[in-house]
Amino acid sequence: MPTMLNLTINGKKIEAPEGMTVLEAAKREGIYIPTLCYHEALDPEGTCRLCIVEVSGPIIRHTIRVSCIQEVKEGLVVETETERINRNRRLILELLLGRCPYSKELLDLAGRCGVMTSRFLTGEDDDCVRCGRCVRVCRDKIGAYALCWVNRGYQRKVTTDFERLSEYCIGCGSCAQVCPTGAINVEDRGDERKIYTWGHVLARFKLERCKQCGRPFAPQKYLDWMRERAYKPKGLELVDIMCPECVRKTERPAPVEAKLAGMPYRVW
Amino acid sequence: MDSKNTKEIVISVCTGTGGVAAGGYKVIEAFEGALAEGGLKAKFKPRTHKVGCRGFCAKDVLVDVAIDGQTETYQFITPDKAKKIVEEHIIGGEPVKNLLVKKDYHAFHSKQKKLVLANCGQIDPESIGEYIARDGYESALKALEMAPDEIIRVIKESGLRGRGGGGFPTGIKWESCQRASGDLKYVLCNADEGDPGAFMDRSIIEGNPHSVIEGMIIGAYAIGSSEGYVYIRAEYPLAVERLRLALNQARERNYLGENIFGTDFNFDIKIVLGAGAFVCGESTALMTSIEDKVGEPRPKYIHTTDRGVWGKPSNLNNVETWANVPLIIKNGAKWYAGIGSDTSKGTKIFSLVGNINNTGLVEVPMGIPLKDIIYKIGGGIPNKKEFKAVQTGGPSGGCIPASYLDMPVDYEHLSQAGSMMGSGGMIVMDEDTCMVDVAKYFLEFCRDEGCGQCTPCREGVAQMVRLLTEITEGKGTPAHVSLLEELSHMIEDTSLCGLGKSAPNPVLSTLHYFRDEYDAHIIDKNCPAGVCRALTIFTIDEIKCTGCMVCARNCPEGAITGEKKEPHYIDQNKCIRCRVCYEGCKFGAVKKG
Repeated sequence: MPTMLNLTINGKKIEAPEGMTVLEAAKREGIYIPTLCYHEALDPEGTCRLCIVEVSGPIIRHTIRVSCIQEVKEGLVVETETERINRNRRLILELLLGRCPYSKELLDLAGRCGVMTSRFLTGEDDDCVRCGRCVRVCRDKIGAYALCWVNRGYQRKVTTDFERLSEYCIGCGSCAQVCPTGAINVEDRGDERKIYTWGHVLARFKLERCKQCGRPFAPQKYLDWMRERAYKPKGLELVDIMCPECVRKTERPAPVEAKLAGMPYRVW
Repeated sequence: MDSKNTKEIVISVCTGTGGVAAGGYKVIEAFEGALAEGGLKAKFKPRTHKVGCRGFCAKDVLVDVAIDGQTETYQFITPDKAKKIVEEHIIGGEPVKNLLVKKDYHAFHSKQKKLVLANCGQIDPESIGEYIARDGYESALKALEMAPDEIIRVIKESGLRGRGGGGFPTGIKWESCQRASGDLKYVLCNADEGDPGAFMDRSIIEGNPHSVIEGMIIGAYAIGSSEGYVYIRAEYPLAVERLRLALNQARERNYLGENIFGTDFNFDIKIVLGAGAFVCGESTALMTSIEDKVGEPRPKYIHTTDRGVWGKPSNLNNVETWANVPLIIKNGAKWYAGIGSDTSKGTKIFSLVGNINNTGLVEVPMGIPLKDIIYKIGGGIPNKKEFKAVQTGGPSGGCIPASYLDMPVDYEHLSQAGSMMGSGGMIVMDEDTCMVDVAKYFLEFCRDEGCGQCTPCREGVAQMVRLLTEITEGKGTPAHVSLLEELSHMIEDTSLCGLGKSAPNPVLSTLHYFRDEYDAHIIDKNCPAGVCRALTIFTIDEIKCTGCMVCARNCPEGAITGEKKEPHYIDQNKCIRCRVCYEGCKFGAVKKG
């Protein structure tokens, strides 16, 4: 049982376990803090700066911190919507909109924070807000290292090695899954999968067919990767490749077998 | 010269970066050649001697010729002049008067207090023996006999503060790193000096690398660390080479390695080469770079003294800070605390560059008035121009105007004036400098050198550059200034690392002190300094113009017309505002505005 700490968020006294971030604590209490680069599944990086809050407390001097990284502390006083925070947050949103003026998700977020237009239109139009979720999921969670940052400062962007079709991409589509603005897309057409960002194709794959229904559903590289990562260490074999729909339809393994194997012997 | 008495002849030639660039190695060769020719080599065994930066880089190559302890200093020495010196001074016994340093050389040194730089320019940086001969490594030996807590107490009492910019008390940093739990700790040296116009860390390493190593040994012992890293820029090949040599020499003598100085303390230093990113000078970015990752800062909610390189407690200090440590241990905390101002102790090295007569490296006690640095040491502004501002603290520092010339230079006063100590760059600007243009230059630097992780710095600074560019192009409106202010405060508040937080400083300080220049750009559409091309018109004063034709001949666009001995005219449609006519006119007939 972790130690419970007492803190105040927007005047509300709450308890949160040690090690929890302020953002998580606020979320649990139903207090909304806008985020962009934060994702439940990923380690926080604190780069979009939208989740800024004002904190003060017995051991922290009054300052602005990003709530996705700041851990709860005993006696911490957090304010999420002060004038200073709102002003800064709106300006950050305006800056982001200056680059991505047509991103629906960003417009929604901006509207929620009271930003209607941007004074910083740059004439550029891409949907990438440089939150880095795709890079982090590819690197930290999948372990494929297919996506990376290139360039510094204003030129920073997400791409593959040497901006060519990626050798390392396994076609899992996690990057598109975590992208908050839909800047990365996965498109399956026939038996071909294409992962692309604004005008730049990151990877192409031929899709393997489901042994049950015959529908093309996953690239071979991805299936190999899963075999390597998920089944091999447990001494299991991927016996048949099956699409998720078919897996759901198939019978569950008999209880005895499941117990022996420790997990379903048949996936997909 | 009396050949019966054996004389001791030592010729010291500056081989700092400035000295080498001015031909220092060739001068050494010339001296050796001339000495061999004159047959002096066999007779007196004269020593030619490479020394580090002497500070006064504007006068390189500087050469000291010491005959039996009688030293004469020569300036602007070339191989030809070296021969002359050998003939007239060494053989003839008469110093070559017209090559000797002039008054300004002595004025340059008069107000300085050389502690850290005391040995730079005196000893051969490639010889550990010369450092030891000047009491080198004695402080380390003394420190290893002290208790670690005692060392930290001494450093705390001395009042030494970080010379890398922040000015955090060094003793307190050491203490928190010492108290941090963990058996493996690191001491790091930040030699990733990237500020435009700054070269003090480079000169310390090039001129006296052992002082840094000694400081790190003392720090490591106090903190309880056995591994050290020096993060140095690959763009400093000479410094890297000399540091590597110094480390090897120290290892040979068992000053580094296992059981150093015969004690049971183990410590070694490795060199990590930086790949040139400015942001890697930021502490957390430097540490990620040491870990072989992309050098990007991370939020500092846990101090690096608790969790730094590879998650281990790490103590990072700048080159100059480390070089101060042996002096404090040697002379005691009281001695050190006696130098400087109330809150800032000791001396600080500044690299004095820009529109100033005596360009070079100066070491002054903290709290010295700014005007002493600029006028007494720096010798004022060239070409009888007016002093306008001085930019301190690197690209993210601020510009301090002439009204602050009486201000004592220390951490507190500089930050009160809207600038910062930074690593000690001092860029002096004269009346022909446009402050909007200066702000734009530094913001462009920050835009290009920021890592691009966080939105405020990546997008915000780029937008500030765009706004400033529009102002310098004459497209500015009063809304531009208020938007600049708004962005500046937001970026200061919300950026991830120190680079972003301080990036708006040049804009804020110029807006504060030189608001009238912004107004001139925006409202009058005029650049008072005549720098911003779109806002400057050059005209020729008919009365002053003598019709000498110089401007017409030099004009690259053929925009100037006029007969000989008749007033000339500039065709504004052809003029590209290159300033050639303005700078070339001997009669002051070309006017800007």
